[in-house]
Amino acid sequence: MTRRPVPARRFGIIISLVASMVLTLVARLYYVQVLDPNKPRQTAGVLHDGDVVVPAPRGLIVDAQGRVLVDDRAIHVIEVDRDRLLELPDKGASVLRRLGVLLNRNPVQVAKEITPCSPTVPAPCWVGEPYQPVPVATSPPMSAVLTISEHRELYPGVTVLTRSQRHYPDRTLAAHVLGYASAVTQTDKRSNPSLTDADLIGVSGLEEQYDAALRGADGKRVVRLSPQGYPVADGPSTAAQQGLTLVTSIDARLQALTQKALITQIRALRKQGKPATSGSVVIMAPQTGRVLAVASWPTYDPQLFVGGISAKAYRALTAPGANDPLLSRAIAGQYAPGSTFKLITSSSLVMHHEISLDGRYPCPGSVSIDGRVKTNFESESFGGPISLEDALGYSCDTFFYEPAAAEYYADQRRIDEGEQPREWLQHMAASYGVGTSPGIDLPAAEQATGSYADRETRLARWRANRKTYCAEAKRGYPDVANPTDRAYMTELAAENCTDGWRYRAGDNADMSIGQGETTLSPLQLAIAYSALVNGGRLWEPRIGWALERPDGSVAKTIKPVVRRTVPVSAKVRDYIMKSLSFSRGWAVSGAFAYLNSPYRNQLGGKTGTAEVFGRQDTAWLATWGPVYRTAAGQPRAKLVMVGMIEQGGIGAFGAGPMEKQIWDGIFGVESKRVLSGEGPAATVPHVRTDGQ
Amino acid sequence: MTVFARDPRSPFTLVPNSMQAFGQRRARHDWILTGSALALALVGAVLVWAATRSTQEAAGANPNAFLYRHLINMGIAAALGVAACRFDARLLRLFGPAVYCASLVGLLAVFAIGTTVNGAHAWIRLGGGVELQPSEFMKLGLVVGMAGMFAQRARERSDPTPRTSDILIALGLIAVPLGLVMLEPDLGSAMVLAAASFGVLITAGVPARWTVGLLVLAVLVAVLAVKTGMLAQYQLQRFEVFANPARDPQGAAYNVTQAHIAIANGGLFGRGLFHGPQTEGGYVPEQQTDFIFSVAGEEFGLVGGLAIIALFGVLCWRGMLIARRADRAGQLIAAGIVCWFAFQAFQNVGMNLGLMPVTGLPLPFVSYGGSSMFAQALAIGLLQAVRRAAIE
Repeated sequence: MTRRPVPARRFGIIISLVASMVLTLVARLYYVQVLDPNKPRQTAGVLHDGDVVVPAPRGLIVDAQGRVLVDDRAIHVIEVDRDRLLELPDKGASVLRRLGVLLNRNPVQVAKEITPCSPTVPAPCWVGEPYQPVPVATSPPMSAVLTISEHRELYPGVTVLTRSQRHYPDRTLAAHVLGYASAVTQTDKRSNPSLTDADLIGVSGLEEQYDAALRGADGKRVVRLSPQGYPVADGPSTAAQQGLTLVTSIDARLQALTQKALITQIRALRKQGKPATSGSVVIMAPQTGRVLAVASWPTYDPQLFVGGISAKAYRALTAPGANDPLLSRAIAGQYAPGSTFKLITSSSLVMHHEISLDGRYPCPGSVSIDGRVKTNFESESFGGPISLEDALGYSCDTFFYEPAAAEYYADQRRIDEGEQPREWLQHMAASYGVGTSPGIDLPAAEQATGSYADRETRLARWRANRKTYCAEAKRGYPDVANPTDRAYMTELAAENCTDGWRYRAGDNADMSIGQGETTLSPLQLAIAYSALVNGGRLWEPRIGWALERPDGSVAKTIKPVVRRTVPVSAKVRDYIMKSLSFSRGWAVSGAFAYLNSPYRNQLGGKTGTAEVFGRQDTAWLATWGPVYRTAAGQPRAKLVMVGMIEQGGIGAFGAGPMEKQIWDGIFGVESKRVLSGEGPAATVPHVRTDGQ
Repeated sequence: MTVFARDPRSPFTLVPNSMQAFGQRRARHDWILTGSALALALVGAVLVWAATRSTQEAAGANPNAFLYRHLINMGIAAALGVAACRFDARLLRLFGPAVYCASLVGLLAVFAIGTTVNGAHAWIRLGGGVELQPSEFMKLGLVVGMAGMFAQRARERSDPTPRTSDILIALGLIAVPLGLVMLEPDLGSAMVLAAASFGVLITAGVPARWTVGLLVLAVLVAVLAVKTGMLAQYQLQRFEVFANPARDPQGAAYNVTQAHIAIANGGLFGRGLFHGPQTEGGYVPEQQTDFIFSVAGEEFGLVGGLAIIALFGVLCWRGMLIARRADRAGQLIAAGIVCWFAFQAFQNVGMNLGLMPVTGLPLPFVSYGGSSMFAQALAIGLLQAVRRAAIE
């Protein structure tokens, strides 16, 4: 074979390429290891740390006497440490088999659940940290707990822990106010990254409102891990900080009595043939703005939600026939207040000099407003002209129709003359809080605002809904069976279609007696009547009283806020109070149930019987007492109670006996007093939860 | 160790030889070349051991398993190398096409019966835990095939200057395996194939306009591949990460960052064998294969790293010496092999040092892995065969 020398430069190219590569690497290596001023820091210790969350016990909720409303109950949790199992000769197979028998579960399934998830390990698998023991059973049978504790040698790597779980000891007691807490969801974690799976989050009521304070701060146990992630030692740990105790102004005994009275009344009414579909009672202290009892029926058991509500239970609660037990009628419901609204109407008429306190005005059986005949209850007439005192006491409707209509026409004249309407009645309603959230310390979505009609809202609504009204008038409600109802609804739709924008004299008259589009929640009515008996202060009430540390010291006092003073003079307020005092006996409709009560003279109150289209009347009664006088001689009341029964009939009989049962308890008639005094507790109880 | 000699009548029949014959053959054998390869493999054994023992132990497996397998691979590789030594390099010209075709068949087999490891469909599972990566053998096959072609055609014309037709055939020979490897996709092997054939083309005397033109073309193709999404997502990611490792420290840049931490904290003399926290903690993924250099960097420091680079330098130097003295085919083979080793080592160490993008390439002789070591041992054997042929 001939050998021809290849030109040296061809090798030269390769040699120089190789040489430059070698030099580049040497230079770079020298730079990385010696010269680099910003060397990456070695973070890999031989050991590193893993965190194990120690969930903080959620704070208690207690009543005004320190009695527990919500607490944490210890439950057993069985956890399996997979790393320990893998150290066993059979990789834990026998332990899992025994555990499976104990828990009546398939050991293969348990083995899958404790294997950390990874791309090659699909669900079911453990989504937590690989070194963290995996809970395999919550509230297991006691026999399993005992077996594992007694035969530890048979269950290496299996531990029984006690964890706390939310507990509502009195079941439905104040359920709507307390709300409930449930497991943290992914959405919760996104909005609050400090949440862990071990935490609970309040999703309703006080549990939601005071969630951050109740939750406390989770503790952390640091586990030293080998570089491969195996625990080798325990590091420092920070103890979980228990959540604060929420002391409420709810009085558990009064609350229980209230709920009992509510159910008793509903049962009694049903026996009389009334539907009495739902009801509620609110009791508040008008001088402090604190709420003592909130009852709503139908109700539910918050315990159902602990650890996740079952689909079946949730369906039962939300089924159409269940009548919405999750709804707090007292605070989130709004209803036509009927004659209880005359507090506001009287305030407005007198304060705007449309009627006077010493004047007498007619109370005929019926009046014609705008060509429509409006009657008194059962067309009752009281003969000649009567005073406001009697109009309130007897609850004469026609007495208020005329001045309300007159106010309307005066406003129309103003509009015709290019002025703004005054709408005094509407403004007084707004001053008493109608149409605005009451601002109680519950989630905003759980508070009704109430409503009333005025010219502006009427027009706006008509603009928005005109097409629907007109279409319905054309169709004529063919699916409504009752021909009378069908005719009425069609007529109403036709009227709404053409004249729905018009605010009429009749509307103003309706509002004056708490009908028409006027609605209020029972809580709002209680706030309004509180203003009557506390010198005019309109509260943003509070259920929470104080947040206390585990040692019982107060971390924060929760104070009700005075939103405003209602624009009603003391003279007028005292007049209305006096007019509605039960001491007037038969002259006051609200007193009917109390004629023989020894405490009758210490109470006052106003009934309401609100008509609801297609249903029976809503029964209302707003009472206050015991009445006392301030040093300056002004009348005040310690408590205000508002009761409401939907489709319960006449206020005096539909709600009166129910409230009497509660007042009997408060005054200690034929029983022990439910409150320590005749009013709310004066000082906040100190509740220790640290076991000292 | 049994020493084999070739029966002159058949290049593949091996017969035991006497010790005396061995003594005579000694001069014809480049012991420095063999020694540096062996030294790299032994260093590799220690590094593979260091990289795997603690993680193996933690997983409850035999901490020495990788060491043993590496040593077994070395044994097999040594046998293959000795066999290749015995080959008559003068016949390479004739056997070139066969070697090339056999390698190509292996590469094609990947697409029929291959398995996917780390995103590349590049492996053939032989059963019993043995896997082969045909692209490793293709590197050798391509070099031998090209060398054979150039030498054969030069011999037929009695003119070593390659003609355009030669060059076009060579480009065809390159294109087929390169395309297949890119399809796997194994970008690293493709780059090595390109580097090795570049070495052969230069040595063959291909005019500069061709080599420069090819380089320009390669750059254009690379740009086009990135633009048109021909590269797999993970490959693009690796390039992005190479450009900016801080961008995704938990994802694609994790390996680079961890390797960098390991090497940077090795310092001048290293943390000592089995004392590198980064290595013993198992923080550098694929450390026994692609990132084996980081073990040296952390546990043996600058000194250890330089020693490995120096050994590669010696290897290439001896290879070029052999190329200088060899015949036409031998020159091409030796230059191709040197370029292969040099580029692969540069690419691997470079990616450990953050100089080059991450491509799944083992460090020749050092990294754990049978296929690459076998192919490289065959290459060393072949270099020895070329040397012997030149001396004889």
